[in-house]
Amino acid sequence: MSKKQEWAVRIKVLVITAVIASIGNMLSTWHAGAVVMPWETIPALISMFAIVILGCLADELMRKIHISLPKILYISLFTMLLSIPGFSPIAEWMQVNYAKIGVLPLCTPILAYAGISIGKDMDSFKKQGLGIVVTSLMAFAGTYIGSAIIAEVLLRLTHVI
Amino acid sequence: MSNEKKNDGKLLDFKDWKVHLLCLIMVVVADGIGSIPVGAGIIKFTLLPMLYALVIGIILAAAKVIKRDMMEIASPYIGISVMFLSVRMGSTIGPNLKEVLRAGLPLLLQELGNLGTLFFALPVGVLVFKMGREAVGCAFSTSREGALAIVGDIYGLDSPEGRGVMGAYITGTLLGAIFNSILASILCATGLFHPYALGMAAGTGSASMMAAALGPVVEAFPDMAEQISAYAATSQVLTGVDGMYMSLFVALPLTNFLYRKLKREKKGAEKAIDYQKVMSDAEKAEDE
Repeated sequence: MSKKQEWAVRIKVLVITAVIASIGNMLSTWHAGAVVMPWETIPALISMFAIVILGCLADELMRKIHISLPKILYISLFTMLLSIPGFSPIAEWMQVNYAKIGVLPLCTPILAYAGISIGKDMDSFKKQGLGIVVTSLMAFAGTYIGSAIIAEVLLRLTHVI
Repeated sequence: MSNEKKNDGKLLDFKDWKVHLLCLIMVVVADGIGSIPVGAGIIKFTLLPMLYALVIGIILAAAKVIKRDMMEIASPYIGISVMFLSVRMGSTIGPNLKEVLRAGLPLLLQELGNLGTLFFALPVGVLVFKMGREAVGCAFSTSREGALAIVGDIYGLDSPEGRGVMGAYITGTLLGAIFNSILASILCATGLFHPYALGMAAGTGSASMMAAALGPVVEAFPDMAEQISAYAATSQVLTGVDGMYMSLFVALPLTNFLYRKLKREKKGAEKAIDYQKVMSDAEKAEDE
């Protein structure tokens, strides 16, 4: 796939995802009791789209000087800087508008695409199934116990408790 | 080959409309049903729409409604649709920045405890279950949305690592809250930890898991409920801020390193010489 085609597919899927997410968001906010119509989320989605494009452009520039980092790093850095009140002129606007589109409705289309493609991996997942379940439960235990031990020791050392 | 021909000279086509339409239908059904709270008493968790979307996909694939070519087409779209989520999650950091900078040393350093994921989980995955690279995707984090984004971007969600993180994501969504709730109850009962420490530990980046881990502690120490909750919330914000960077720059490389080590040790004596050579080479390189 050429660079141009890559960008064409990216923009197409981003726009379609935005439309789908805004519809999902309407349903999800309707459940929560304060429905947000799809067109009310347009400002937030357009600005998110712009930040994504900026992030992808930054990634392309960095790759030209042979620095290969995940795109989400640039994207989350830009959005973090833009969301700092007092530092960014659009921070307040972002807070008001982004509140209209929830984190969870943005997850649904991702998992839907994942669901459509998951069939081709089912056999290997079945083979690994129990391993994955037990390993991830160990990961949850690990972060909780790890943090608890460090917190306990440091709270004692700093005489907070 | 046929794909190349199809795309030849055309920048934009909508031959994949079936995939997008199916995605829309799945989202409408999933978000239409909405989240369903399950459980009673201390053990509570919530079934989320994103989980239904995934389950619908699994059912439709098993029923052979989704054809192989649609699966192949949809696969790269996961990585593109994830980008909106990255923006939305990043936008919560700015407003909370002051709170984070005010937080104390214990709060900051207990974040390192989140690396406990890989030390607990990777040996189990590799040595007990003989897993491959799936174990890396599974073990480097708690496999929440940010981890999906990281693995999706670096390895692709259709890679072994991607299968690992997605499997762990499903496990976490289904069992994470219950598991954390039980674990917190047990740790609380041992009396080894101060409730403040357990409060801080509860902030693992997932809202439902934090709530589940916090519940039993607050229940056991009602007098300190406010302080415990405050520590949990701050730790939660901290993980939200540093989680992505910790995962990307510390946890994932460390997991890969530990994975190579665990795999190498398993190969036995004949490979041990090679291993020593690699190590001495590495030491030399470091000396230089």
